Amino acid sequence: MGDKSTLTPAATRSLAVRAALLVMLLALLVAGSVAYLLYARGVFEPSQRLVLLADDVEGVTVGMDLTFAGFPIGRVRGIELAADGTARIIIDIPRKDARWLRESSVFTLTRGLVGNTNLRAFSGVLSDPPLPGGAERRVLVGDATAEIPRLVNETRDLIRNLTQLTSADSSLATTLGNVQSATDKIKGPRGALGMLFGNDADAKKLVDALDRTNALLARIDGLAAKADQQVFGAEGVMPEAKAAVVQLNAALLEARESLKKIDAILVDAQAIAGNTRAAANDLGALRAEVDANLRKVSGMIDEVNRRWPFAKPAEIKLP
Amino acid sequence: MTAQVSGWSVVADLGRSAWEWCIGWWQIILFSAKLLVLALSPSSYRGANLAALARHLVKDTTPVLLWFTLMTSIISLVIIHIVVVTSVSYGLSRYALEMVVRVLVLELIPLTAAMFVALRCALPNASEVAALRAQGALDAPAAAGGEELQREVLPRVVSGTFSVLLLATVSCVVAALIAYLWVHGFTVGGFAGYTRTFGRVFSPAVSLIFTLKTLGLALAVGLIPIASVLYDRPNPRLRTSSELRGLVRLFAVILLIEVAALVGNYT
Repeated sequence: MGDKSTLTPAATRSLAVRAALLVMLLALLVAGSVAYLLYARGVFEPSQRLVLLADDVEGVTVGMDLTFAGFPIGRVRGIELAADGTARIIIDIPRKDARWLRESSVFTLTRGLVGNTNLRAFSGVLSDPPLPGGAERRVLVGDATAEIPRLVNETRDLIRNLTQLTSADSSLATTLGNVQSATDKIKGPRGALGMLFGNDADAKKLVDALDRTNALLARIDGLAAKADQQVFGAEGVMPEAKAAVVQLNAALLEARESLKKIDAILVDAQAIAGNTRAAANDLGALRAEVDANLRKVSGMIDEVNRRWPFAKPAEIKLP
Repeated sequence: MTAQVSGWSVVADLGRSAWEWCIGWWQIILFSAKLLVLALSPSSYRGANLAALARHLVKDTTPVLLWFTLMTSIISLVIIHIVVVTSVSYGLSRYALEMVVRVLVLELIPLTAAMFVALRCALPNASEVAALRAQGALDAPAAAGGEELQREVLPRVVSGTFSVLLLATVSCVVAALIAYLWVHGFTVGGFAGYTRTFGRVFSPAVSLIFTLKTLGLALAVGLIPIASVLYDRPNPRLRTSSELRGLVRLFAVILLIEVAALVGNYT
Protein backbone atom coordinates (compact mmCIF):
# COMPACT_ATOMS: atom_id res chain seq x y z
CA MET A 1 0.00 0.00 0.00
CA GLY A 2 2.78 2.36 0.85
CA ASP A 3 5.42 3.69 -1.49
CA LYS A 4 7.99 1.34 -0.11
CA SER A 5 7.51 -1.01 -3.04
CA THR A 6 10.48 -2.70 -4.52
CA LEU A 7 11.06 -1.47 -8.03
CA THR A 8 13.99 -2.40 -10.15
CA PRO A 9 16.26 0.45 -11.16
CA ALA A 10 15.19 0.02 -14.77
CA ALA A 11 11.54 0.29 -13.83
CA THR A 12 12.32 3.32 -11.73
CA ARG A 13 14.17 4.92 -14.62
CA SER A 14 11.30 4.12 -16.95
CA LEU A 15 8.85 5.69 -14.58
CA ALA A 16 11.05 8.75 -14.26
CA VAL A 17 11.29 9.08 -18.03
CA ARG A 18 7.54 8.75 -18.47
CA ALA A 19 6.90 11.23 -15.69
CA ALA A 20 9.36 13.62 -17.28
CA LEU A 21 7.60 13.20 -20.60
CA LEU A 22 4.29 14.02 -18.97
CA VAL A 23 5.75 17.09 -17.32
CA MET A 24 7.33 18.13 -20.59
CA LEU A 25 4.04 17.63 -22.38
CA LEU A 26 2.29 19.84 -19.88
CA ALA A 27 5.03 22.46 -20.04
CA LEU A 28 4.97 22.37 -23.82
CA LEU A 29 1.21 22.72 -24.00
CA VAL A 30 1.13 25.51 -21.46
CA ALA A 31 3.98 27.36 -23.16
CA GLY A 32 2.39 26.88 -26.57
CA SER A 33 -0.98 28.06 -25.30
CA VAL A 34 0.55 31.13 -23.70
CA ALA A 35 2.49 31.93 -26.86
CA TYR A 36 -0.62 31.46 -29.00
CA LEU A 37 -2.66 33.68 -26.72
CA LEU A 38 0.01 36.37 -26.79
CA TYR A 39 0.05 36.11 -30.58
CA ALA A 40 -3.74 36.24 -30.68
CA ARG A 41 -3.69 39.34 -28.52
CA GLY A 42 -1.30 40.94 -30.98
CA VAL A 43 1.61 41.21 -28.56
CA PHE A 44 4.19 40.28 -31.20
CA GLU A 45 2.72 42.56 -33.84
CA PRO A 46 3.79 46.21 -34.23
CA SER A 47 0.77 48.42 -34.17
CA GLN A 48 -0.23 52.05 -34.23
CA ARG A 49 -2.83 53.79 -32.17
CA LEU A 50 -6.05 55.36 -33.31
CA VAL A 51 -8.39 57.30 -31.03
CA LEU A 52 -12.03 57.59 -31.97
CA LEU A 53 -14.11 60.25 -30.25
CA ALA A 54 -17.80 59.78 -29.62
CA ASP A 55 -20.51 61.26 -27.45
CA ASP A 56 -21.83 57.86 -26.46
CA VAL A 57 -19.91 54.59 -26.56
CA GLU A 58 -22.62 52.35 -25.20
CA GLY A 59 -22.11 48.84 -26.54
CA VAL A 60 -18.42 49.31 -27.25
CA THR A 61 -16.31 46.83 -25.31
CA VAL A 62 -12.61 46.34 -24.88
CA GLY A 63 -11.46 43.71 -27.34
CA MET A 64 -14.08 44.36 -30.00
CA ASP A 65 -12.93 44.70 -33.59
CA LEU A 66 -12.68 47.64 -35.92
CA THR A 67 -13.59 46.32 -39.34
CA PHE A 68 -12.80 47.51 -42.83
CA ALA A 69 -14.81 45.93 -45.65
CA GLY A 70 -15.87 43.25 -43.19
CA PHE A 71 -12.33 42.36 -42.17
CA PRO A 72 -11.11 43.11 -38.67
CA ILE A 73 -8.17 45.49 -38.90
CA GLY A 74 -7.99 46.72 -35.33
CA ARG A 75 -8.98 46.02 -31.79
CA VAL A 76 -10.32 48.24 -29.04
CA ARG A 77 -7.70 48.46 -26.33
CA GLY A 78 -9.47 50.81 -24.01
CA ILE A 79 -12.33 53.23 -23.53
CA GLU A 80 -11.93 56.35 -21.46
CA LEU A 81 -13.81 59.51 -20.70
CA ALA A 82 -12.02 62.73 -21.57
CA ALA A 83 -12.15 65.87 -19.43
CA ASP A 84 -14.68 67.46 -21.78
CA GLY A 85 -17.07 64.53 -21.44
CA THR A 86 -16.18 63.01 -24.78
CA ALA A 87 -15.68 59.27 -24.84
CA ARG A 88 -12.38 58.13 -26.32
CA ILE A 89 -12.13 54.71 -27.92
CA ILE A 90 -8.51 53.68 -28.11
CA ILE A 91 -7.82 51.23 -30.90
CA ASP A 92 -4.66 49.35 -31.82
CA ILE A 93 -4.20 48.92 -35.56
CA PRO A 94 -1.53 46.45 -36.69
CA ARG A 95 0.95 48.11 -39.03
CA LYS A 96 0.17 45.71 -41.84
CA ASP A 97 -3.52 46.66 -41.69
CA ALA A 98 -2.98 50.37 -41.13
CA ARG A 99 -2.54 50.87 -44.89
CA TRP A 100 -6.31 50.66 -45.28
CA LEU A 101 -6.78 53.76 -43.20
CA ARG A 102 -6.25 57.13 -44.85
CA GLU A 103 -6.54 60.75 -43.84
CA SER A 104 -9.98 60.84 -45.41
CA SER A 105 -11.20 57.65 -43.75
CA VAL A 106 -14.57 57.76 -42.02
CA PHE A 107 -15.35 55.77 -38.89
CA THR A 108 -18.83 54.69 -37.84
CA LEU A 109 -20.27 53.18 -34.70
CA THR A 110 -23.50 51.33 -35.42
CA ARG A 111 -25.76 49.59 -32.99
CA GLY A 112 -28.02 46.81 -34.23
CA LEU A 113 -31.49 45.97 -33.08
CA VAL A 114 -30.30 43.00 -31.02
CA GLY A 115 -27.68 45.01 -29.19
CA ASN A 116 -24.67 44.17 -31.32
CA THR A 117 -22.36 47.11 -31.85
CA ASN A 118 -19.96 47.48 -34.73
CA LEU A 119 -17.06 49.80 -35.37
CA ARG A 120 -16.41 50.23 -39.06
CA ALA A 121 -13.88 52.16 -41.13
CA PHE A 122 -14.50 53.42 -44.65
CA SER A 123 -11.72 54.68 -46.90
CA GLY A 124 -13.11 56.14 -50.07
CA VAL A 125 -9.86 57.45 -51.53
CA LEU A 126 -7.05 55.00 -51.00
CA SER A 127 -4.61 57.31 -52.71
CA ASP A 128 -4.89 59.82 -49.86
CA PRO A 129 -2.03 60.09 -47.35
CA PRO A 130 -2.03 57.28 -44.77
CA LEU A 131 -3.52 57.88 -41.35
CA PRO A 132 -0.73 58.83 -38.95
CA GLY A 133 -0.25 56.98 -35.66
CA GLY A 134 -2.09 58.42 -32.69
CA ALA A 135 -4.63 60.16 -34.90
CA GLU A 136 -7.90 61.25 -33.36
CA ARG A 137 -11.04 61.06 -35.40
CA ARG A 138 -14.68 61.69 -34.72
CA VAL A 139 -16.81 58.59 -35.06
CA LEU A 140 -20.22 58.79 -36.69
CA VAL A 141 -22.85 57.11 -34.58
CA GLY A 142 -25.74 55.31 -36.23
CA ASP A 143 -28.15 53.88 -33.75
CA ALA A 144 -30.81 51.56 -35.10
CA THR A 145 -32.47 51.42 -31.71
CA ALA A 146 -33.02 55.17 -31.75
CA GLU A 147 -35.61 54.58 -34.42
CA ILE A 148 -37.54 52.19 -32.23
CA PRO A 149 -39.63 54.76 -30.28
CA ARG A 150 -40.68 56.50 -33.48
CA LEU A 151 -41.37 53.13 -35.06
CA VAL A 152 -43.43 52.07 -32.08
CA ASN A 153 -45.48 55.29 -32.20
CA GLU A 154 -46.11 54.92 -35.90
CA THR A 155 -47.01 51.29 -35.44
CA ARG A 156 -49.41 52.23 -32.67
CA ASP A 157 -51.07 54.81 -34.93
CA LEU A 158 -51.24 52.29 -37.71
CA ILE A 159 -52.85 49.72 -35.46
CA ARG A 160 -55.33 52.31 -34.19
CA ASN A 161 -56.26 53.19 -37.73
CA LEU A 162 -56.56 49.55 -38.64
CA THR A 163 -58.77 48.98 -35.62
CA GLN A 164 -60.98 51.85 -36.63
CA LEU A 165 -61.09 50.57 -40.17
CA THR A 166 -62.01 47.07 -39.16
CA SER A 167 -64.55 47.92 -36.48
CA ALA A 168 -68.15 46.85 -37.11
CA ASP A 169 -69.47 50.40 -37.52
CA SER A 170 -66.55 51.65 -39.59
CA SER A 171 -66.88 53.17 -43.03
CA LEU A 172 -64.98 50.27 -44.49
CA ALA A 173 -67.37 47.75 -43.00
CA THR A 174 -70.35 49.76 -44.29
CA THR A 175 -68.75 50.03 -47.69
CA LEU A 176 -68.08 46.34 -47.76
CA GLY A 177 -71.70 45.71 -46.78
CA ASN A 178 -72.86 47.91 -49.61
CA VAL A 179 -70.50 46.14 -51.97
CA GLN A 180 -71.96 42.86 -50.78
CA SER A 181 -75.53 44.00 -51.43
CA ALA A 182 -74.45 45.43 -54.80
CA THR A 183 -72.85 42.12 -55.62
CA ASP A 184 -76.03 40.34 -54.66
CA LYS A 185 -78.00 42.64 -56.93
CA ILE A 186 -75.56 42.08 -59.76
CA LYS A 187 -76.09 38.36 -59.29
CA GLY A 188 -79.86 38.98 -59.52
CA PRO A 189 -82.02 38.64 -62.65
CA ARG A 190 -81.60 42.31 -63.67
CA GLY A 191 -77.80 42.25 -63.04
CA ALA A 192 -75.93 45.52 -62.86
CA LEU A 193 -78.89 47.49 -64.29
CA GLY A 194 -81.03 46.52 -61.38
CA MET A 195 -78.27 47.77 -59.05
CA LEU A 196 -77.94 51.05 -60.98
CA PHE A 197 -81.68 51.87 -61.06
CA GLY A 198 -82.55 50.49 -57.72
CA ASN A 199 -85.79 48.87 -58.96
CA ASP A 200 -86.76 46.42 -61.63
CA ALA A 201 -89.33 48.66 -63.33
CA ASP A 202 -86.83 51.31 -64.33
CA ALA A 203 -84.38 48.69 -65.41
CA LYS A 204 -87.11 47.16 -67.57
CA LYS A 205 -87.80 50.59 -69.08
CA LEU A 206 -84.17 50.93 -69.99
CA VAL A 207 -84.16 47.53 -71.59
CA ASP A 208 -87.27 48.43 -73.57
CA ALA A 209 -85.70 51.71 -74.60
CA LEU A 210 -82.67 49.83 -75.78
CA ASP A 211 -84.87 47.49 -77.80
CA ARG A 212 -86.67 50.39 -79.39
CA THR A 213 -83.40 52.11 -80.06
CA ASN A 214 -82.19 49.00 -81.78
CA ALA A 215 -85.33 48.91 -83.93
CA LEU A 216 -84.89 52.62 -84.71
CA LEU A 217 -81.34 52.05 -85.66
CA ALA A 218 -82.42 49.27 -87.98
CA ARG A 219 -84.87 51.58 -89.66
CA ILE A 220 -82.30 54.35 -89.92
CA ASP A 221 -79.99 51.84 -91.44
CA GLY A 222 -82.57 51.06 -94.16
CA LEU A 223 -83.22 54.76 -94.64
CA ALA A 224 -79.57 55.41 -95.06
CA ALA A 225 -79.38 52.69 -97.70
CA LYS A 226 -82.23 54.27 -99.64
CA ALA A 227 -80.71 57.75 -99.31
CA ASP A 228 -77.47 56.36 -100.54
CA GLN A 229 -79.24 54.93 -103.53
CA GLN A 230 -80.99 58.21 -104.24
CA VAL A 231 -77.97 60.36 -103.75
CA PHE A 232 -75.18 58.24 -105.13
CA GLY A 233 -77.15 55.87 -107.42
CA ALA A 234 -77.16 55.98 -111.20
CA GLU A 235 -80.30 58.07 -111.18
CA GLY A 236 -79.29 59.88 -108.00
CA VAL A 237 -78.67 63.48 -107.22
CA MET A 238 -74.95 63.40 -107.35
CA PRO A 239 -74.49 62.60 -111.08
CA GLU A 240 -76.95 65.37 -112.02
CA ALA A 241 -75.19 67.74 -109.68
CA LYS A 242 -71.94 66.82 -111.34
CA ALA A 243 -73.40 67.63 -114.79
CA ALA A 244 -74.78 70.89 -113.44
CA VAL A 245 -71.38 71.79 -112.15
CA VAL A 246 -69.91 71.15 -115.60
CA GLN A 247 -72.52 73.40 -117.17
CA LEU A 248 -71.92 76.00 -114.52
CA ASN A 249 -68.21 75.95 -115.31
CA ALA A 250 -68.98 76.59 -118.98
CA ALA A 251 -71.32 79.43 -118.03
CA LEU A 252 -68.66 80.89 -115.82
CA LEU A 253 -66.19 80.80 -118.69
CA GLU A 254 -68.63 82.67 -120.87
CA ALA A 255 -69.26 85.14 -118.11
CA ARG A 256 -65.51 85.62 -117.73
CA GLU A 257 -65.29 86.46 -121.50
CA SER A 258 -68.15 88.90 -121.17
CA LEU A 259 -66.51 90.55 -118.26
CA LYS A 260 -63.35 90.99 -120.28
CA LYS A 261 -65.34 92.80 -122.95
CA ILE A 262 -67.01 94.94 -120.33
CA ASP A 263 -63.55 95.75 -119.01
CA ALA A 264 -62.53 97.05 -122.47
CA ILE A 265 -65.73 99.10 -122.73
CA LEU A 266 -65.11 100.52 -119.33
CA VAL A 267 -61.59 101.53 -120.41
CA ASP A 268 -63.11 103.35 -123.37
CA ALA A 269 -65.72 104.97 -121.18
CA GLN A 270 -63.00 106.03 -118.84
CA ALA A 271 -61.18 107.73 -121.71
CA ILE A 272 -64.41 109.46 -122.80
CA ALA A 273 -65.02 110.59 -119.27
CA GLY A 274 -61.50 112.09 -119.22
CA ASN A 275 -62.22 114.01 -122.36
CA THR A 276 -65.55 115.13 -120.99
CA ARG A 277 -63.87 116.34 -117.80
CA ALA A 278 -61.47 118.47 -119.89
CA ALA A 279 -64.36 119.85 -121.94
CA ALA A 280 -66.17 120.67 -118.75
CA ASN A 281 -63.14 122.62 -117.59
CA ASP A 282 -63.14 124.59 -120.83
CA LEU A 283 -66.86 125.22 -120.47
CA GLY A 284 -66.22 126.74 -117.04
CA ALA A 285 -63.73 129.25 -118.49
CA LEU A 286 -66.13 129.99 -121.32
CA ARG A 287 -68.94 130.47 -118.91
CA ALA A 288 -66.88 132.92 -116.82
CA GLU A 289 -66.04 134.81 -119.94
CA VAL A 290 -69.72 134.90 -121.01
CA ASP A 291 -70.67 136.02 -117.50
CA ALA A 292 -68.18 138.91 -117.73
CA ASN A 293 -69.47 139.90 -121.14
CA LEU A 294 -73.03 139.72 -119.94
CA ARG A 295 -72.17 141.91 -116.97
CA LYS A 296 -70.52 144.35 -119.32
CA VAL A 297 -73.62 144.32 -121.61
CA SER A 298 -75.87 144.71 -118.61
CA GLY A 299 -73.79 147.67 -117.41
CA MET A 300 -73.87 149.17 -120.83
CA ILE A 301 -77.66 148.78 -121.03
CA ASP A 302 -78.02 150.36 -117.62
CA GLU A 303 -75.89 153.28 -118.82
CA VAL A 304 -77.99 153.59 -121.97
CA ASN A 305 -81.22 153.56 -120.00
CA ARG A 306 -79.91 156.19 -117.66
CA ARG A 307 -78.96 158.38 -120.49
CA TRP A 308 -82.12 157.62 -122.51
CA PRO A 309 -84.65 160.56 -122.12
CA PHE A 310 -87.71 158.45 -122.47
CA ALA A 311 -86.79 156.31 -120.02
CA LYS A 312 -89.27 155.67 -117.21
CA PRO A 313 -88.03 156.13 -113.73
CA ALA A 314 -87.40 153.10 -111.99
CA GLU A 315 -90.24 152.47 -109.71
CA ILE A 316 -90.79 149.71 -107.37
CA LYS A 317 -94.31 148.96 -106.48
CA LEU A 318 -94.79 147.13 -103.34
CA PRO A 319 -97.83 144.95 -103.12
CA MET B 1 -37.55 21.46 32.14
CA THR B 2 -36.79 18.52 29.90
CA ALA B 3 -37.65 20.52 26.79
CA GLN B 4 -35.35 23.34 27.92
CA VAL B 5 -32.49 20.92 28.48
CA SER B 6 -33.12 19.37 25.09
CA GLY B 7 -33.08 22.81 23.42
CA TRP B 8 -29.79 23.72 25.05
CA SER B 9 -28.35 20.41 24.01
CA VAL B 10 -29.32 21.05 20.35
CA VAL B 11 -27.73 24.49 20.46
CA ALA B 12 -24.62 23.04 22.07
CA ASP B 13 -24.45 20.33 19.42
CA LEU B 14 -24.79 22.92 16.67
CA GLY B 15 -22.08 25.06 18.20
CA ARG B 16 -19.80 22.06 18.59
CA SER B 17 -20.39 21.06 15.00
CA ALA B 18 -19.67 24.54 13.75
CA TRP B 19 -16.52 24.68 15.83
CA GLU B 20 -15.35 21.32 14.53
CA TRP B 21 -16.17 22.45 11.00
CA CYS B 22 -14.06 25.54 11.44
CA ILE B 23 -11.25 23.58 13.06
CA GLY B 24 -11.36 21.03 10.26
CA TRP B 25 -11.08 23.68 7.57
CA TRP B 26 -8.35 25.47 9.47
CA GLN B 27 -6.33 22.26 9.75
CA ILE B 28 -6.83 21.61 6.05
CA ILE B 29 -5.56 25.09 5.26
CA LEU B 30 -2.55 24.61 7.50
CA PHE B 31 -1.85 21.22 5.99
CA SER B 32 -2.15 22.65 2.50
CA ALA B 33 0.29 25.40 3.34
CA LYS B 34 2.71 22.87 4.76
CA LEU B 35 2.46 20.70 1.66
CA LEU B 36 2.91 23.67 -0.64
CA VAL B 37 6.07 24.57 1.20
CA LEU B 38 7.24 21.01 0.86
CA ALA B 39 6.30 21.04 -2.82
CA LEU B 40 8.51 24.08 -3.33
CA SER B 41 11.38 22.46 -1.45
CA PRO B 42 14.05 20.90 -3.70
CA SER B 43 14.54 18.02 -1.25
CA SER B 44 11.07 16.75 -2.18
CA TYR B 45 12.37 15.90 -5.64
CA ARG B 46 15.42 13.90 -4.74
CA GLY B 47 16.07 10.20 -4.41
CA ALA B 48 13.20 8.09 -3.18
CA ASN B 49 10.85 11.04 -3.13
CA LEU B 50 11.42 11.67 -6.81
CA ALA B 51 10.84 8.02 -7.62
CA ALA B 52 7.65 7.99 -5.62
CA LEU B 53 6.53 11.19 -7.29
CA ALA B 54 7.31 9.82 -10.74
CA ARG B 55 5.44 6.63 -9.96
CA HIS B 56 2.35 8.49 -8.81
CA LEU B 57 2.44 10.90 -11.71
CA VAL B 58 2.51 8.08 -14.20
CA LYS B 59 0.03 5.96 -12.31
CA ASP B 60 -2.50 8.75 -11.84
CA THR B 61 -2.21 10.46 -15.18
CA THR B 62 -1.30 8.05 -17.94
CA PRO B 63 -4.25 5.67 -17.71
CA VAL B 64 -6.83 8.45 -17.75
CA LEU B 65 -5.22 10.83 -20.19
CA LEU B 66 -6.30 9.08 -23.36
CA TRP B 67 -9.77 8.16 -22.18
CA PHE B 68 -10.49 11.53 -20.73
CA THR B 69 -9.26 13.27 -23.87
CA LEU B 70 -11.43 11.00 -25.99
CA MET B 71 -14.45 11.58 -23.78
CA THR B 72 -14.07 15.35 -23.75
CA SER B 73 -13.53 15.32 -27.51
CA ILE B 74 -16.82 13.55 -28.07
CA ILE B 75 -18.66 15.82 -25.66
CA SER B 76 -16.98 18.85 -27.19
CA LEU B 77 -18.03 17.72 -30.65
CA VAL B 78 -21.64 17.43 -29.55
CA ILE B 79 -21.61 20.80 -27.80
CA ILE B 80 -19.85 22.51 -30.72
CA HIS B 81 -22.39 21.09 -33.12
CA ILE B 82 -25.30 22.23 -30.97
CA VAL B 83 -23.87 25.71 -30.46
CA VAL B 84 -22.94 26.22 -34.11
CA VAL B 85 -26.23 24.93 -35.48
CA THR B 86 -28.23 26.99 -33.01
CA SER B 87 -26.20 30.11 -33.73
CA VAL B 88 -26.61 29.68 -37.47
CA SER B 89 -30.35 29.15 -37.14
CA TYR B 90 -30.66 32.41 -35.23
CA GLY B 91 -28.34 34.27 -37.59
CA LEU B 92 -25.66 34.63 -34.94
CA SER B 93 -23.04 32.42 -36.53
CA ARG B 94 -20.28 34.94 -35.98
CA TYR B 95 -20.71 34.47 -32.25
CA ALA B 96 -20.64 30.68 -32.46
CA LEU B 97 -16.89 30.26 -32.15
CA GLU B 98 -16.66 32.70 -29.30
CA MET B 99 -19.43 30.90 -27.49
CA VAL B 100 -17.77 27.52 -28.08
CA VAL B 101 -14.48 28.79 -26.72
CA ARG B 102 -16.15 30.33 -23.72
CA VAL B 103 -18.34 27.36 -22.92
CA LEU B 104 -15.80 24.62 -23.50
CA VAL B 105 -12.34 25.96 -22.85
CA LEU B 106 -13.16 28.49 -20.19
CA GLU B 107 -15.86 26.72 -18.25
CA LEU B 108 -16.64 23.09 -18.90
CA ILE B 109 -13.34 21.36 -19.54
CA PRO B 110 -11.41 22.53 -16.43
CA LEU B 111 -14.41 21.69 -14.27
CA THR B 112 -14.84 18.29 -15.90
CA ALA B 113 -11.15 17.53 -15.53
CA ALA B 114 -11.23 18.42 -11.85
CA MET B 115 -14.27 16.25 -11.18
CA PHE B 116 -12.87 13.39 -13.20
CA VAL B 117 -9.51 13.41 -11.44
CA ALA B 118 -11.20 13.81 -8.08
CA LEU B 119 -13.20 10.65 -8.60
CA ARG B 120 -10.61 8.71 -10.51
CA CYS B 121 -7.38 9.57 -8.64
CA ALA B 122 -7.84 11.85 -5.65
CA LEU B 123 -10.38 9.67 -3.90
CA PRO B 124 -8.30 6.46 -4.26
CA ASN B 125 -5.24 8.36 -3.12
CA ALA B 126 -7.14 9.59 -0.08
CA SER B 127 -8.23 6.04 0.65
CA GLU B 128 -4.62 4.88 0.43
CA VAL B 129 -3.52 7.58 2.83
CA ALA B 130 -6.36 6.71 5.18
CA ALA B 131 -5.30 3.06 5.03
CA LEU B 132 -1.67 3.99 5.74
CA ARG B 133 -2.80 6.01 8.69
CA ALA B 134 -4.96 3.18 9.94
CA GLN B 135 -2.03 0.79 9.58
CA GLY B 136 0.19 3.16 11.52
CA ALA B 137 2.48 3.72 8.59
CA LEU B 138 1.74 7.42 8.96
CA ASP B 139 2.16 9.03 12.35
CA ALA B 140 -0.44 11.20 13.88
CA PRO B 141 -0.91 14.24 11.64
CA ALA B 142 0.19 16.68 14.24
CA ALA B 143 3.42 14.82 14.72
CA ALA B 144 3.91 13.83 11.10
CA GLY B 145 7.36 14.84 10.05
CA GLY B 146 8.27 16.41 6.76
CA GLU B 147 9.94 13.23 5.61
CA GLU B 148 6.82 11.13 5.80
CA LEU B 149 4.79 13.81 4.13
CA GLN B 150 7.36 14.08 1.36
CA ARG B 151 7.44 10.34 0.80
CA GLU B 152 3.82 9.31 1.18
CA VAL B 153 1.54 12.32 0.90
CA LEU B 154 3.22 14.90 -1.28
CA PRO B 155 3.58 12.64 -4.35
CA ARG B 156 -0.14 11.88 -4.20
CA VAL B 157 -1.05 15.54 -3.81
CA VAL B 158 1.26 16.62 -6.62
CA SER B 159 0.11 13.85 -8.92
CA GLY B 160 -3.54 14.77 -8.37
CA THR B 161 -2.80 18.42 -9.03
CA PHE B 162 -0.66 17.62 -12.04
CA SER B 163 -3.27 15.28 -13.42
CA VAL B 164 -5.92 17.97 -13.34
CA LEU B 165 -3.61 20.46 -15.03
CA LEU B 166 -2.53 18.04 -17.74
CA LEU B 167 -5.99 16.70 -18.49
CA ALA B 168 -7.45 20.20 -18.59
CA THR B 169 -4.69 21.53 -20.82
CA VAL B 170 -4.74 18.63 -23.27
CA SER B 171 -8.52 18.64 -23.46
CA CYS B 172 -8.69 22.40 -23.97
CA VAL B 173 -6.19 22.22 -26.80
CA VAL B 174 -8.02 19.30 -28.40
CA ALA B 175 -11.40 21.01 -28.01
CA ALA B 176 -10.02 24.20 -29.57
CA LEU B 177 -8.69 22.19 -32.50
CA ILE B 178 -11.99 20.36 -32.93
CA ALA B 179 -13.89 23.64 -32.83
CA TYR B 180 -11.68 25.08 -35.56
CA LEU B 181 -11.95 22.00 -37.74
CA TRP B 182 -15.70 21.75 -37.22
CA VAL B 183 -16.32 25.35 -38.18
CA HIS B 184 -13.69 25.94 -40.87
CA GLY B 185 -12.79 22.44 -42.01
CA PHE B 186 -9.32 21.31 -43.03
CA THR B 187 -8.09 24.69 -44.21
CA VAL B 188 -5.89 27.39 -42.82
CA GLY B 189 -8.12 30.10 -44.27
CA GLY B 190 -9.98 30.60 -41.03
CA PHE B 191 -6.91 30.66 -38.82
CA ALA B 192 -6.63 34.45 -38.67
CA GLY B 193 -10.27 34.91 -37.72
CA TYR B 194 -10.13 32.06 -35.25
CA THR B 195 -7.01 33.46 -33.63
CA ARG B 196 -8.68 36.83 -33.43
CA THR B 197 -11.69 35.28 -31.72
CA PHE B 198 -9.39 33.54 -29.26
CA GLY B 199 -7.61 36.77 -28.56
CA ARG B 200 -10.90 38.57 -28.04
CA VAL B 201 -12.13 35.94 -25.57
CA PHE B 202 -8.89 35.66 -23.63
CA SER B 203 -8.49 39.20 -22.46
CA PRO B 204 -5.87 39.67 -19.73
CA ALA B 205 -8.52 39.54 -17.00
CA VAL B 206 -10.16 36.43 -18.38
CA SER B 207 -6.80 34.74 -18.86
CA LEU B 208 -5.82 35.50 -15.29
CA ILE B 209 -9.12 34.20 -13.93
CA PHE B 210 -8.85 31.10 -16.09
CA THR B 211 -5.34 30.39 -14.86
CA LEU B 212 -6.24 30.98 -11.23
CA LYS B 213 -9.36 28.89 -11.54
CA THR B 214 -7.56 25.95 -13.10
CA LEU B 215 -4.78 26.13 -10.54
CA GLY B 216 -7.29 26.40 -7.73
CA LEU B 217 -9.26 23.42 -8.98
CA ALA B 218 -6.09 21.38 -9.37
CA LEU B 219 -4.83 22.23 -5.89
CA ALA B 220 -8.22 21.56 -4.37
CA VAL B 221 -8.43 18.17 -6.04
CA GLY B 222 -4.92 17.28 -4.92
CA LEU B 223 -5.12 18.59 -1.38
CA ILE B 224 -8.60 18.43 0.09
CA PRO B 225 -9.41 14.71 -0.06
CA ILE B 226 -6.06 13.73 1.45
CA ALA B 227 -6.13 16.49 4.04
CA SER B 228 -9.62 15.43 5.03
CA VAL B 229 -8.70 11.84 5.68
CA LEU B 230 -5.64 12.91 7.60
CA TYR B 231 -7.30 15.45 9.82
CA ASP B 232 -10.84 14.18 10.18
CA ARG B 233 -11.39 13.05 13.73
CA PRO B 234 -13.41 9.87 14.18
CA ASN B 235 -16.98 10.93 14.79
CA PRO B 236 -19.36 8.18 15.90
CA ARG B 237 -22.34 10.38 15.11
CA LEU B 238 -21.52 10.54 11.43
CA ARG B 239 -22.31 7.54 9.26
CA THR B 240 -20.16 8.62 6.33
CA SER B 241 -16.50 7.78 5.83
CA SER B 242 -13.81 10.42 5.97
CA GLU B 243 -13.12 9.91 2.22
CA LEU B 244 -16.72 10.75 1.39
CA ARG B 245 -16.64 13.77 3.64
CA GLY B 246 -13.46 14.84 1.89
CA LEU B 247 -15.21 14.48 -1.43
CA VAL B 248 -18.08 16.64 -0.23
CA ARG B 249 -15.61 19.25 0.95
CA LEU B 250 -13.86 19.08 -2.40
CA PHE B 251 -17.10 19.58 -4.31
CA ALA B 252 -17.96 22.52 -2.11
CA VAL B 253 -14.60 24.11 -2.84
CA ILE B 254 -14.93 23.39 -6.57
CA LEU B 255 -18.34 25.03 -6.51
CA LEU B 256 -16.93 28.08 -4.76
CA ILE B 257 -14.05 28.38 -7.21
CA GLU B 258 -16.39 28.02 -10.16
CA VAL B 259 -18.79 30.62 -8.82
CA ALA B 260 -15.94 33.01 -8.11
CA ALA B 261 -14.61 32.52 -11.64
CA LEU B 262 -18.05 33.13 -13.14
CA VAL B 263 -18.46 36.25 -11.08
CA GLY B 264 -15.04 37.45 -12.16
CA ASN B 265 -15.62 36.68 -15.83
CA TYR B 266 -19.16 37.90 -16.32
CA THR B 267 -19.65 40.82 -13.98
